[in-house]
Amino acid sequence: MSVKYSPVQWTQSKLFYDAIALALVVAYVLIYLRVAPTFTGGVPSADGAIVRARAFGTCAFLLLTVILCIGPLARFDRRFLPLLYNRRHLGVITCLVALTHAAYVLNWYFNFSSTPRFEALLTSNTSYGQILGFPFEAFGILALLALLVLAVSSHDFWLSFLTAPVWKLLHYAIYPAYGFLVAHIALGALQSETNATFAVVTGCSVVLVCRLHAAAAIHETRLARTATVSASQEDAWFAVGKLTDFEEGRAQIRLLDTGERVAVFLHEGHLAAIGNACAHQNGPLGEGRILDGCLTCPWHGFQYRLSDGCSPAPFTEKVPTYNLRIDGEVVLVDARMNPLGTKVDPVPLPLVTQGAGA
Amino acid sequence: MNGGSMVVWLATLWLYAGGAVAAVFLLFGIDRVDGNARGAYLFRPLLAPGVLLLWPLVLWRWWTLEAVSGTSDDAAYDRGRYQAVRAGHARVWSVLAVLVPAVLIGALLMRQPVPDSKGAAVRLDAPAPKQ
Repeated sequence: MSVKYSPVQWTQSKLFYDAIALALVVAYVLIYLRVAPTFTGGVPSADGAIVRARAFGTCAFLLLTVILCIGPLARFDRRFLPLLYNRRHLGVITCLVALTHAAYVLNWYFNFSSTPRFEALLTSNTSYGQILGFPFEAFGILALLALLVLAVSSHDFWLSFLTAPVWKLLHYAIYPAYGFLVAHIALGALQSETNATFAVVTGCSVVLVCRLHAAAAIHETRLARTATVSASQEDAWFAVGKLTDFEEGRAQIRLLDTGERVAVFLHEGHLAAIGNACAHQNGPLGEGRILDGCLTCPWHGFQYRLSDGCSPAPFTEKVPTYNLRIDGEVVLVDARMNPLGTKVDPVPLPLVTQGAGA
Repeated sequence: MNGGSMVVWLATLWLYAGGAVAAVFLLFGIDRVDGNARGAYLFRPLLAPGVLLLWPLVLWRWWTLEAVSGTSDDAAYDRGRYQAVRAGHARVWSVLAVLVPAVLIGALLMRQPVPDSKGAAVRLDAPAPKQ
Protein backbone atom coordinates (compact mmCIF):
# COMPACT_ATOMS: atom_id res chain seq x y z
CA MET A 1 0.00 0.00 0.00
CA SER A 2 1.16 3.51 -0.50
CA VAL A 3 -0.17 4.81 2.81
CA LYS A 4 1.21 4.14 6.29
CA TYR A 5 0.71 0.54 7.36
CA SER A 6 -1.77 -0.31 10.09
CA PRO A 7 -2.13 -3.65 11.91
CA VAL A 8 -5.38 -4.62 10.18
CA GLN A 9 -7.15 -2.56 7.53
CA TRP A 10 -10.68 -3.12 8.67
CA THR A 11 -13.52 -1.40 6.90
CA GLN A 12 -17.17 -1.75 7.83
CA SER A 13 -17.71 -4.43 5.19
CA LYS A 14 -14.57 -6.31 6.23
CA LEU A 15 -15.64 -6.24 9.88
CA PHE A 16 -19.04 -7.57 8.85
CA TYR A 17 -17.41 -10.31 6.77
CA ASP A 18 -15.06 -11.32 9.60
CA ALA A 19 -17.87 -11.29 12.16
CA ILE A 20 -19.96 -13.60 9.95
CA ALA A 21 -16.99 -15.93 9.39
CA LEU A 22 -16.20 -16.11 13.13
CA ALA A 23 -19.88 -16.65 14.00
CA LEU A 24 -20.07 -19.52 11.49
CA VAL A 25 -16.92 -21.12 12.93
CA VAL A 26 -18.26 -20.90 16.50
CA ALA A 27 -21.67 -22.23 15.40
CA TYR A 28 -20.06 -25.13 13.50
CA VAL A 29 -17.89 -26.17 16.45
CA LEU A 30 -20.78 -25.95 18.92
CA ILE A 31 -23.10 -27.92 16.63
CA TYR A 32 -20.38 -30.51 15.99
CA LEU A 33 -19.77 -31.00 19.72
CA ARG A 34 -23.51 -31.42 20.23
CA VAL A 35 -24.25 -33.63 17.20
CA ALA A 36 -21.10 -35.76 16.83
CA PRO A 37 -21.85 -38.07 19.80
CA THR A 38 -25.23 -38.97 18.23
CA PHE A 39 -23.40 -40.40 15.20
CA THR A 40 -22.43 -43.34 17.38
CA GLY A 41 -25.96 -43.89 18.69
CA GLY A 42 -25.32 -41.95 21.85
CA VAL A 43 -22.47 -44.22 22.88
CA PRO A 44 -19.46 -42.08 23.74
CA SER A 45 -16.82 -43.71 21.52
CA ALA A 46 -14.34 -40.90 21.83
CA ASP A 47 -13.13 -38.73 24.67
CA GLY A 48 -14.05 -35.08 24.86
CA ALA A 49 -10.59 -33.91 23.82
CA ILE A 50 -10.74 -36.11 20.70
CA VAL A 51 -14.19 -34.80 19.74
CA ARG A 52 -12.97 -31.22 20.19
CA ALA A 53 -9.89 -31.95 18.09
CA ARG A 54 -12.11 -33.38 15.35
CA ALA A 55 -14.50 -30.44 15.57
CA PHE A 56 -11.69 -27.95 14.87
CA GLY A 57 -9.99 -30.28 12.36
CA THR A 58 -13.12 -30.74 10.25
CA CYS A 59 -13.86 -27.03 10.56
CA ALA A 60 -10.40 -26.14 9.20
CA PHE A 61 -10.89 -28.56 6.29
CA LEU A 62 -14.28 -27.09 5.39
CA LEU A 63 -12.91 -23.54 5.65
CA LEU A 64 -10.06 -24.45 3.32
CA THR A 65 -12.58 -25.95 0.91
CA VAL A 66 -14.55 -22.69 0.91
CA ILE A 67 -11.40 -20.60 0.42
CA LEU A 68 -10.31 -22.73 -2.53
CA CYS A 69 -13.74 -22.49 -4.15
CA ILE A 70 -13.90 -18.68 -3.93
CA GLY A 71 -11.17 -18.05 -6.53
CA PRO A 72 -12.63 -20.04 -9.45
CA LEU A 73 -16.20 -19.06 -8.55
CA ALA A 74 -15.25 -15.38 -8.70
CA ARG A 75 -13.70 -15.94 -12.12
CA PHE A 76 -16.94 -17.39 -13.46
CA ASP A 77 -19.43 -15.21 -11.60
CA ARG A 78 -18.73 -11.63 -10.46
CA ARG A 79 -21.22 -11.96 -7.58
CA PHE A 80 -18.56 -13.95 -5.69
CA LEU A 81 -16.03 -11.11 -5.89
CA PRO A 82 -16.89 -9.66 -2.44
CA LEU A 83 -15.86 -13.00 -0.94
CA LEU A 84 -12.56 -12.76 -2.79
CA TYR A 85 -11.76 -9.31 -1.37
CA ASN A 86 -11.60 -10.63 2.19
CA ARG A 87 -10.20 -14.08 1.50
CA ARG A 88 -7.00 -13.39 3.42
CA HIS A 89 -8.89 -12.84 6.67
CA LEU A 90 -10.64 -16.15 6.13
CA GLY A 91 -7.21 -17.75 5.60
CA VAL A 92 -5.96 -16.42 8.94
CA ILE A 93 -9.10 -17.74 10.68
CA THR A 94 -8.53 -21.14 9.03
CA CYS A 95 -4.94 -21.22 10.28
CA LEU A 96 -6.04 -20.40 13.85
CA VAL A 97 -8.69 -23.13 13.72
CA ALA A 98 -6.11 -25.63 12.41
CA LEU A 99 -3.68 -24.62 15.18
CA THR A 100 -6.41 -25.25 17.76
CA HIS A 101 -6.90 -28.72 16.27
CA ALA A 102 -3.14 -29.36 16.48
CA ALA A 103 -3.03 -28.14 20.10
CA TYR A 104 -5.81 -30.53 21.10
CA VAL A 105 -4.05 -33.42 19.35
CA LEU A 106 -0.68 -32.64 20.94
CA ASN A 107 -2.18 -32.17 24.40
CA TRP A 108 -4.09 -35.43 24.25
CA TYR A 109 -2.28 -38.04 22.18
CA PHE A 110 1.30 -36.98 22.98
CA ASN A 111 1.00 -35.50 26.44
CA PHE A 112 1.40 -38.40 28.80
CA SER A 113 4.91 -39.71 28.28
CA SER A 114 8.42 -38.74 29.22
CA THR A 115 9.17 -37.99 25.55
CA PRO A 116 8.70 -34.29 24.70
CA ARG A 117 5.44 -33.78 22.79
CA PHE A 118 6.87 -32.55 19.49
CA GLU A 119 9.45 -35.33 19.48
CA ALA A 120 6.77 -37.89 20.33
CA LEU A 121 4.64 -36.59 17.44
CA LEU A 122 7.50 -37.21 15.01
CA THR A 123 8.66 -40.55 16.40
CA SER A 124 5.53 -42.37 17.54
CA ASN A 125 4.95 -43.79 14.06
CA THR A 126 7.78 -44.01 11.55
CA SER A 127 6.26 -46.53 9.11
CA TYR A 128 6.93 -44.34 6.09
CA GLY A 129 7.46 -47.42 3.89
CA GLN A 130 3.83 -48.59 3.93
CA ILE A 131 0.55 -47.08 2.81
CA LEU A 132 -1.77 -48.51 5.43
CA GLY A 133 -0.58 -47.26 8.78
CA PHE A 134 1.41 -44.50 7.11
CA PRO A 135 2.17 -41.73 9.61
CA PHE A 136 -0.62 -39.45 8.47
CA GLU A 137 0.46 -36.89 11.07
CA ALA A 138 3.27 -35.91 8.69
CA PHE A 139 0.71 -34.71 6.11
CA GLY A 140 -1.08 -32.76 8.82
CA ILE A 141 2.17 -31.07 9.86
CA LEU A 142 2.96 -30.14 6.24
CA ALA A 143 -0.55 -28.73 5.72
CA LEU A 144 -0.32 -26.76 8.95
CA LEU A 145 3.09 -25.36 7.98
CA ALA A 146 1.69 -24.23 4.63
CA LEU A 147 -1.31 -22.59 6.32
CA LEU A 148 1.05 -20.88 8.78
CA VAL A 149 3.20 -19.49 5.97
CA LEU A 150 0.08 -18.15 4.25
CA ALA A 151 -1.30 -16.59 7.45
CA VAL A 152 1.92 -14.96 8.65
CA SER A 153 2.58 -13.44 5.22
CA SER A 154 -0.95 -12.14 4.71
CA HIS A 155 -0.30 -8.51 5.70
CA ASP A 156 -0.10 -6.02 2.84
CA PHE A 157 3.51 -5.28 3.81
CA TRP A 158 4.53 -8.73 2.54
CA LEU A 159 2.93 -8.10 -0.83
CA SER A 160 4.87 -4.90 -1.25
CA PHE A 161 8.11 -6.26 0.23
CA LEU A 162 8.22 -9.57 -1.63
CA THR A 163 6.57 -8.20 -4.84
CA ALA A 164 3.30 -9.62 -6.13
CA PRO A 165 4.79 -12.49 -8.20
CA VAL A 166 6.91 -13.84 -5.31
CA TRP A 167 4.04 -13.37 -2.85
CA LYS A 168 1.63 -15.11 -5.21
CA LEU A 169 4.09 -17.95 -5.73
CA LEU A 170 4.43 -18.33 -1.96
CA HIS A 171 0.66 -18.41 -1.63
CA TYR A 172 0.46 -21.21 -4.17
CA ALA A 173 1.29 -23.27 -1.05
CA ILE A 174 -2.45 -23.35 -0.40
CA TYR A 175 -2.85 -25.92 -3.20
CA PRO A 176 -0.41 -28.53 -1.84
CA ALA A 177 -1.79 -27.71 1.64
CA TYR A 178 -5.18 -28.95 0.47
CA GLY A 179 -3.62 -32.10 -1.00
CA PHE A 180 -1.74 -32.76 2.27
CA LEU A 181 -4.92 -32.21 4.25
CA VAL A 182 -6.89 -34.70 2.14
CA ALA A 183 -4.07 -37.25 2.56
CA HIS A 184 -4.02 -36.52 6.32
CA ILE A 185 -7.75 -37.23 6.56
CA ALA A 186 -7.83 -40.18 4.13
CA LEU A 187 -4.95 -42.03 5.79
CA GLY A 188 -5.92 -40.93 9.29
CA ALA A 189 -9.47 -40.34 10.47
CA LEU A 190 -11.16 -42.12 7.55
CA GLN A 191 -9.24 -45.34 8.23
CA SER A 192 -10.95 -45.86 11.57
CA GLU A 193 -14.21 -43.92 11.14
CA THR A 194 -17.29 -46.15 11.09
CA ASN A 195 -19.73 -43.41 10.08
CA ALA A 196 -19.83 -42.69 6.33
CA THR A 197 -20.62 -38.99 6.80
CA PHE A 198 -16.96 -37.96 7.05
CA ALA A 199 -16.00 -39.87 3.91
CA VAL A 200 -18.96 -38.38 1.98
CA VAL A 201 -18.15 -34.81 3.10
CA THR A 202 -14.47 -35.26 2.23
CA GLY A 203 -15.39 -36.74 -1.16
CA CYS A 204 -17.77 -33.86 -1.93
CA SER A 205 -15.07 -31.35 -1.02
CA VAL A 206 -12.52 -33.04 -3.27
CA VAL A 207 -14.94 -33.25 -6.21
CA LEU A 208 -16.01 -29.62 -5.79
CA VAL A 209 -12.51 -28.16 -5.41
CA CYS A 210 -10.93 -30.24 -8.18
CA ARG A 211 -13.85 -29.69 -10.56
CA LEU A 212 -13.88 -25.92 -10.06
CA HIS A 213 -10.11 -25.52 -10.38
CA ALA A 214 -9.89 -27.81 -13.39
CA ALA A 215 -12.68 -25.80 -15.06
CA ALA A 216 -10.91 -22.52 -14.21
CA ALA A 217 -7.62 -23.89 -15.55
CA ILE A 218 -9.27 -24.97 -18.84
CA HIS A 219 -11.02 -21.59 -19.08
CA GLU A 220 -7.73 -19.73 -18.55
CA THR A 221 -5.85 -21.89 -21.06
CA ARG A 222 -8.52 -21.34 -23.73
CA LEU A 223 -8.55 -17.63 -23.00
CA ALA A 224 -4.78 -17.43 -23.32
CA ARG A 225 -4.88 -19.30 -26.65
CA THR A 226 -7.61 -17.18 -28.18
CA ALA A 227 -6.37 -13.93 -26.70
CA THR A 228 -2.78 -14.13 -27.89
CA VAL A 229 -2.35 -11.39 -30.43
CA SER A 230 -0.61 -12.03 -33.71
CA ALA A 231 2.20 -9.91 -35.03
CA SER A 232 1.35 -7.07 -37.34
CA GLN A 233 3.39 -5.73 -40.23
CA GLU A 234 5.85 -3.96 -37.96
CA ASP A 235 7.95 -5.70 -35.32
CA ALA A 236 6.56 -4.42 -32.02
CA TRP A 237 2.99 -3.61 -33.04
CA PHE A 238 0.28 -6.16 -32.46
CA ALA A 239 -3.33 -6.21 -33.57
CA VAL A 240 -5.74 -6.02 -30.63
CA GLY A 241 -8.94 -6.24 -32.63
CA LYS A 242 -11.34 -4.36 -34.82
CA LEU A 243 -12.83 -1.03 -33.82
CA THR A 244 -16.25 -2.63 -33.60
CA ASP A 245 -15.00 -5.14 -31.00
CA PHE A 246 -14.84 -2.44 -28.32
CA GLU A 247 -17.69 -1.57 -25.95
CA GLU A 248 -17.84 1.65 -23.94
CA GLY A 249 -16.36 1.19 -20.44
CA ARG A 250 -15.05 -2.31 -21.21
CA ALA A 251 -11.64 -3.67 -22.17
CA GLN A 252 -10.24 -6.12 -24.66
CA ILE A 253 -7.52 -8.15 -22.91
CA ARG A 254 -4.71 -9.55 -25.00
CA LEU A 255 -1.70 -11.71 -24.17
CA LEU A 256 1.40 -10.30 -25.81
CA ASP A 257 4.29 -12.38 -27.07
CA THR A 258 6.33 -10.82 -24.26
CA GLY A 259 4.22 -12.75 -21.72
CA GLU A 260 2.49 -9.58 -20.48
CA ARG A 261 -1.23 -8.98 -20.72
CA VAL A 262 -2.50 -5.67 -21.95
CA ALA A 263 -5.99 -4.26 -21.35
CA VAL A 264 -7.24 -1.86 -24.01
CA PHE A 265 -10.17 0.19 -22.71
CA LEU A 266 -12.74 2.23 -24.55
CA HIS A 267 -13.70 5.13 -22.28
CA GLU A 268 -15.73 8.15 -23.39
CA GLY A 269 -14.96 7.48 -27.04
CA HIS A 270 -11.19 7.13 -26.51
CA LEU A 271 -8.95 4.06 -26.43
CA ALA A 272 -6.23 3.62 -23.81
CA ALA A 273 -3.94 0.66 -23.09
CA ILE A 274 -2.66 -0.31 -19.67
CA GLY A 275 -0.95 -3.35 -18.11
CA ASN A 276 -3.59 -5.90 -17.11
CA ALA A 277 -2.00 -6.84 -13.76
CA CYS A 278 -2.81 -4.71 -10.73
CA ALA A 279 0.27 -3.55 -8.80
CA HIS A 280 -1.34 -4.85 -5.61
CA GLN A 281 -1.98 -8.56 -6.21
CA ASN A 282 -1.85 -8.86 -9.99
CA GLY A 283 -5.64 -8.69 -10.14
CA PRO A 284 -7.13 -8.60 -13.68
CA LEU A 285 -7.49 -4.85 -14.29
CA GLY A 286 -9.09 -5.46 -17.67
CA GLU A 287 -12.09 -6.99 -15.88
CA GLY A 288 -12.50 -3.87 -13.76
CA ARG A 289 -14.86 -0.92 -14.17
CA ILE A 290 -14.09 2.76 -14.60
CA LEU A 291 -15.25 4.65 -11.54
CA ASP A 292 -14.74 8.39 -11.03
CA GLY A 293 -12.55 8.44 -14.13
CA CYS A 294 -10.20 5.78 -12.79
CA LEU A 295 -9.90 2.13 -13.71
CA THR A 296 -10.80 0.14 -10.57
CA CYS A 297 -9.35 -3.31 -9.92
CA PRO A 298 -12.16 -5.86 -9.48
CA TRP A 299 -10.28 -7.63 -6.69
CA HIS A 300 -9.48 -5.01 -4.06
CA GLY A 301 -10.53 -1.68 -5.55
CA PHE A 302 -7.08 -0.25 -6.32
CA GLN A 303 -7.50 2.58 -8.84
CA TYR A 304 -5.39 3.83 -11.77
CA ARG A 305 -5.68 6.66 -14.26
CA LEU A 306 -5.92 5.29 -17.79
CA SER A 307 -3.76 8.09 -19.16
CA ASP A 308 -0.58 7.39 -17.15
CA GLY A 309 -1.24 4.17 -15.17
CA CYS A 310 -0.74 5.99 -11.84
CA SER A 311 -2.97 5.74 -8.78
CA PRO A 312 -4.47 9.07 -7.72
CA ALA A 313 -2.76 10.80 -4.75
CA PRO A 314 -1.96 9.94 -1.99
CA PHE A 315 -1.44 6.46 -3.47
CA THR A 316 1.72 5.74 -5.43
CA GLU A 317 1.01 2.45 -7.25
CA LYS A 318 1.83 2.39 -10.94
CA VAL A 319 1.15 0.05 -13.83
CA PRO A 320 2.66 0.48 -17.28
CA THR A 321 0.93 2.17 -20.18
CA TYR A 322 1.20 1.15 -23.83
CA ASN A 323 1.07 3.14 -27.04
CA LEU A 324 -1.88 2.60 -29.36
CA ARG A 325 -2.72 3.51 -32.92
CA ILE A 326 -5.52 2.79 -35.33
CA ASP A 327 -4.76 1.38 -38.76
CA GLY A 328 -7.96 1.41 -40.82
CA GLU A 329 -10.40 -0.74 -38.88
CA VAL A 330 -7.75 -2.37 -36.69
CA VAL A 331 -6.47 -1.23 -33.29
CA LEU A 332 -2.74 -1.83 -32.82
CA VAL A 333 -0.77 -1.85 -29.58
CA ASP A 334 2.96 -1.38 -29.17
CA ALA A 335 4.15 -4.41 -27.17
CA ARG A 336 7.02 -2.41 -25.67
CA MET A 337 5.64 -1.12 -22.38
CA ASN A 338 6.35 2.49 -21.50
CA PRO A 339 8.42 3.43 -18.45
CA LEU A 340 6.18 3.59 -15.36
CA GLY A 341 4.24 6.83 -15.08
CA THR A 342 4.48 7.68 -18.80
CA LYS A 343 1.47 9.69 -19.91
CA VAL A 344 -0.09 8.51 -23.17
CA ASP A 345 -2.86 10.52 -24.76
CA PRO A 346 -5.93 8.31 -25.32
CA VAL A 347 -6.63 7.64 -29.00
CA PRO A 348 -10.03 8.95 -30.15
CA LEU A 349 -12.25 6.55 -32.07
CA PRO A 350 -13.09 7.66 -35.60
CA LEU A 351 -16.44 9.48 -35.64
CA VAL A 352 -17.99 6.95 -38.03
CA THR A 353 -17.34 4.12 -35.55
CA GLN A 354 -18.70 6.14 -32.63
CA GLY A 355 -21.82 6.86 -34.61
CA ALA A 356 -22.24 3.19 -35.52
CA GLY A 357 -21.77 2.10 -31.92
CA ALA A 358 -24.29 4.61 -30.56
CA MET B 1 19.92 -38.12 18.71
CA ASN B 2 17.04 -39.71 16.74
CA GLY B 3 15.38 -38.30 13.64
CA GLY B 4 12.51 -36.72 15.57
CA SER B 5 14.67 -34.87 18.06
CA MET B 6 16.97 -33.76 15.19
CA VAL B 7 13.99 -32.20 13.39
CA VAL B 8 12.86 -30.47 16.59
CA TRP B 9 16.43 -29.21 17.21
CA LEU B 10 16.71 -27.87 13.64
CA ALA B 11 13.29 -26.20 13.88
CA THR B 12 14.33 -24.54 17.15
CA LEU B 13 17.56 -23.34 15.55
CA TRP B 14 15.57 -21.97 12.59
CA LEU B 15 13.27 -20.04 14.90
CA TYR B 16 16.19 -18.62 16.95
CA ALA B 17 17.81 -17.37 13.73
CA GLY B 18 14.42 -15.98 12.68
CA GLY B 19 14.12 -14.19 16.02
CA ALA B 20 17.49 -12.51 15.54
CA VAL B 21 16.60 -11.44 11.98
CA ALA B 22 13.16 -10.23 13.14
CA ALA B 23 14.67 -8.05 15.87
CA VAL B 24 17.12 -6.33 13.49
CA PHE B 25 14.77 -6.10 10.53
CA LEU B 26 11.70 -4.84 12.37
CA LEU B 27 13.66 -2.31 14.42
CA PHE B 28 15.99 -0.95 11.72
CA GLY B 29 15.78 -2.63 8.30
CA ILE B 30 12.13 -2.13 7.54
CA ASP B 31 12.50 1.66 7.63
CA ARG B 32 15.25 1.45 5.01
CA VAL B 33 13.34 -0.66 2.50
CA ASP B 34 9.74 0.54 2.80
CA GLY B 35 8.83 4.20 3.14
CA ASN B 36 5.29 3.33 4.22
CA ALA B 37 6.66 1.64 7.34
CA ARG B 38 8.43 4.78 8.59
CA GLY B 39 6.64 6.08 11.65
CA ALA B 40 4.28 3.07 11.69
CA TYR B 41 5.02 0.76 14.62
CA LEU B 42 1.76 -0.91 15.65
CA PHE B 43 1.73 -3.29 12.69
CA ARG B 44 5.31 -4.51 13.21
CA PRO B 45 4.57 -7.17 15.87
CA LEU B 46 2.19 -8.74 13.31
CA LEU B 47 5.15 -9.21 10.96
CA ALA B 48 7.31 -10.99 13.55
CA PRO B 49 5.84 -14.50 12.99
CA GLY B 50 6.38 -14.06 9.25
CA VAL B 51 10.03 -13.12 9.71
CA LEU B 52 10.49 -16.06 12.10
CA LEU B 53 9.31 -18.50 9.43
CA LEU B 54 10.55 -16.78 6.27
CA TRP B 55 13.79 -15.15 7.41
CA PRO B 56 15.95 -16.35 4.47
CA LEU B 57 13.41 -14.77 2.09
CA VAL B 58 13.44 -11.60 4.19
CA LEU B 59 17.23 -11.40 4.07
CA TRP B 60 17.23 -11.93 0.30
CA ARG B 61 14.63 -9.20 -0.35
CA TRP B 62 16.32 -6.85 2.11
CA TRP B 63 19.63 -7.34 0.28
CA THR B 64 17.96 -6.84 -3.12
CA LEU B 65 16.15 -3.68 -2.05
CA GLU B 66 19.29 -2.20 -0.47
CA ALA B 67 21.10 -2.85 -3.76
CA VAL B 68 18.57 -0.87 -5.82
CA SER B 69 17.88 1.90 -3.28
CA GLY B 70 18.55 5.34 -4.68
CA THR B 71 17.91 4.24 -8.25
CA SER B 72 14.85 5.29 -10.23
CA ASP B 73 11.48 3.56 -10.16
CA ASP B 74 12.19 1.98 -13.51
CA ALA B 75 15.62 0.67 -12.55
CA ALA B 76 14.15 -0.97 -9.48
CA TYR B 77 11.12 -2.19 -11.38
CA ASP B 78 11.00 -5.92 -11.80
CA ARG B 79 10.11 -6.61 -15.39
CA GLY B 80 8.65 -9.95 -14.45
CA ARG B 81 6.25 -8.29 -12.03
CA TYR B 82 3.38 -8.17 -14.47
CA GLN B 83 3.76 -11.59 -16.00
CA ALA B 84 0.65 -13.63 -15.55
CA VAL B 85 1.18 -15.63 -12.37
CA ARG B 86 -2.03 -17.53 -13.02
CA ALA B 87 -0.25 -19.41 -15.81
CA GLY B 88 1.06 -21.78 -13.14
CA HIS B 89 -2.45 -22.48 -11.87
CA ALA B 90 -3.30 -24.75 -14.81
CA ARG B 91 -0.08 -26.73 -14.38
CA VAL B 92 -0.64 -27.18 -10.63
CA TRP B 93 -4.25 -28.31 -11.00
CA SER B 94 -3.58 -30.63 -13.93
CA VAL B 95 -1.59 -32.63 -11.35
CA LEU B 96 -3.70 -32.05 -8.22
CA ALA B 97 -7.04 -32.75 -9.94
CA VAL B 98 -5.77 -36.30 -10.55
CA LEU B 99 -3.58 -36.84 -7.50
CA VAL B 100 -5.95 -35.66 -4.74
CA PRO B 101 -8.95 -37.82 -5.77
CA ALA B 102 -6.55 -40.75 -6.34
CA VAL B 103 -5.21 -40.45 -2.79
CA LEU B 104 -8.73 -40.32 -1.33
CA ILE B 105 -10.10 -43.18 -3.41
CA GLY B 106 -6.96 -45.28 -2.92
CA ALA B 107 -7.04 -44.81 0.85
CA LEU B 108 -10.73 -45.75 1.01
CA LEU B 109 -10.24 -48.83 -1.21
CA MET B 110 -7.34 -50.12 0.88
CA ARG B 111 -9.11 -49.43 4.14
CA GLN B 112 -9.23 -52.44 6.44
CA PRO B 113 -12.53 -53.42 8.10
CA VAL B 114 -13.03 -51.66 11.41
CA PRO B 115 -14.20 -53.95 14.23
CA ASP B 116 -17.68 -53.22 15.55
CA SER B 117 -17.25 -51.10 18.66
CA LYS B 118 -20.83 -50.28 19.49
CA GLY B 119 -20.74 -52.09 22.81
CA ALA B 120 -20.89 -50.07 25.98
CA ALA B 121 -17.58 -48.65 27.11
CA VAL B 122 -16.06 -50.32 30.14
CA ARG B 123 -14.13 -48.28 32.63
CA LEU B 124 -11.06 -50.14 33.82
CA ASP B 125 -9.95 -49.98 37.40
CA ALA B 126 -6.59 -48.49 38.13
CA PRO B 127 -3.97 -51.11 39.03
CA ALA B 128 -3.56 -51.64 42.72
CA PRO B 129 -0.58 -49.80 44.14
CA LYS B 130 2.48 -51.93 44.75
CA GLN B 131 3.13 -52.80 48.35
